[in-house]
Amino acid sequence: MPSASSNLIASAELISQGAEAKVYKAHIHSDTVPILVKHRFRKGYRHPTLDASLTRSRVAGEARALLKCLRAGVNVPGIRMVDATEGILGIEWIEGMCVRKLLPGGAEAETELSDADAVPFTGVDALMGLIGTEIAKMHLAGIIHGDLTTSNMILESSQSPRLVLIDFGLSYHSGLVEDKAVDLYVLERAFASTHPDSEPMFSSVLKAYEVRMGKHWASVSKRLDDVRLRGRKRSMVG
Amino acid sequence: METFTNPHFPRNLSVAHVALFAPVNNAKDLRSRIIKAATLDGDEGEQERQAVNFAFIDARLITSRLHLQTAIYQAVMAEAQGALRTKKVHSEIVWILNPTNNITEALRRYGVSDTTRSLLVVRIDGPDLPAERAKKDMDAIISGETVPLDKLQDITEWNTVKKHYKLGQDTAILEAKGDSAREKVLINEIVISSVASKSIAS
Ligand SMILES: Nc1ncnc2c1ncn2[C@@H]1O[C@H](COP(=O)(O)OP(=O)(O)OP(=O)(O)O)[C@@H](O)[C@H]1O
Ligand SMILES: [Mg+2]
Repeated sequence: MPSASSNLIASAELISQGAEAKVYKAHIHSDTVPILVKHRFRKGYRHPTLDASLTRSRVAGEARALLKCLRAGVNVPGIRMVDATEGILGIEWIEGMCVRKLLPGGAEAETELSDADAVPFTGVDALMGLIGTEIAKMHLAGIIHGDLTTSNMILESSQSPRLVLIDFGLSYHSGLVEDKAVDLYVLERAFASTHPDSEPMFSSVLKAYEVRMGKHWASVSKRLDDVRLRGRKRSMVG
Repeated sequence: METFTNPHFPRNLSVAHVALFAPVNNAKDLRSRIIKAATLDGDEGEQERQAVNFAFIDARLITSRLHLQTAIYQAVMAEAQGALRTKKVHSEIVWILNPTNNITEALRRYGVSDTTRSLLVVRIDGPDLPAERAKKDMDAIISGETVPLDKLQDITEWNTVKKHYKLGQDTAILEAKGDSAREKVLINEIVISSVASKSIAS
């Protein structure tokens, strides 16, 4: 007999297919309020027992990071259902726009926003501020995101603009300055490769990050410079 | 009473009948009846166990309809997978609602106590059990009034929920101090998310 979770997925709408997971829009308790379902499907190239335990721990890791963020007041989707055995995590559906698509260079040609409706609810600068603040709150809670890109952020279209961080599939727990600096560096590279002339945008992110981090900023800032230097050396060698 | 149907679950577990009783006037008797039913032998035992075959939940600790629905969903899923941590799907709902792994503590906090004044009563079954029948079975053992589920918002004791989940020192809650509407939204979200992820909580 098919499991409840496979029935759930069969009735859901596929919205994205990655290498690790398929992402769906689905309904469990209500026809009006959707949820987002992330299915880490079976990997045929892995031994079944290993695959099952890896999948389970990835689902558990993502759910625990979300819960930790919620408790710390970081804007992330709430958790709605977990079926770790089947590799399924159901989370709150966030209605809004992916930040990548709101910024120059991020949207596919035909959906490029005109200047007039670019970045609804708030300007680019304010949006960068929201991003920096949310990342700082997450770092202060001891969570490293692991995959910070403008795709993994949604500007929620509610009353007051809320920047929601998503995709905690690669996140982990750490208080190390090095890990925070690398997290920021990953985002800096993502900005540079996706959005032309991104330097002023990323500095606005850092400015807000600095304010929120307070006394913790100095060491992260210094380490970020080291990480950048290492990155440049690596690209000269490689 | 309300009836939730989930077509994704096996047929015999696809329906949840939920009623909110407030007030409840016979909590003490109900509690001893539940305890006794577990130990009775023979036909009488079967009958008594059937009579109390519900999840009884102290309504003061439930923050929203979605909170209860989430516990039901996770409990029914565990039952369908043969992965119950307690004896029955109904006790599993109560166990899932409590943040620790201790079943005795779960029943003491979230179940019926002698002083319970409001109860959420849940029956998981198949579509063959008509709603009227489920309601009649509830009325047969509970003396009190049923009110619409939306009345829950007047019953929830937010401070007790906060205490059980140890939310007092969490940044999210500290930042909402003074804004009780916002605080409730945050508590509700953390509690729902905890219930949803209880199966993987370390
Ligand atoms: N909670 C949510 N509400 C609404 N949309 C979401 C939500 N979470 C994710 N999405 C959308 O689904 C896409 C994929 O989600 P997510 O990044 O978590 O999965 P992923 O498998 O890691 O995908 P990718 O490999 O593309 O990063 C996101 O880019 C976003 O557009
Ligand atoms: Mg992603």
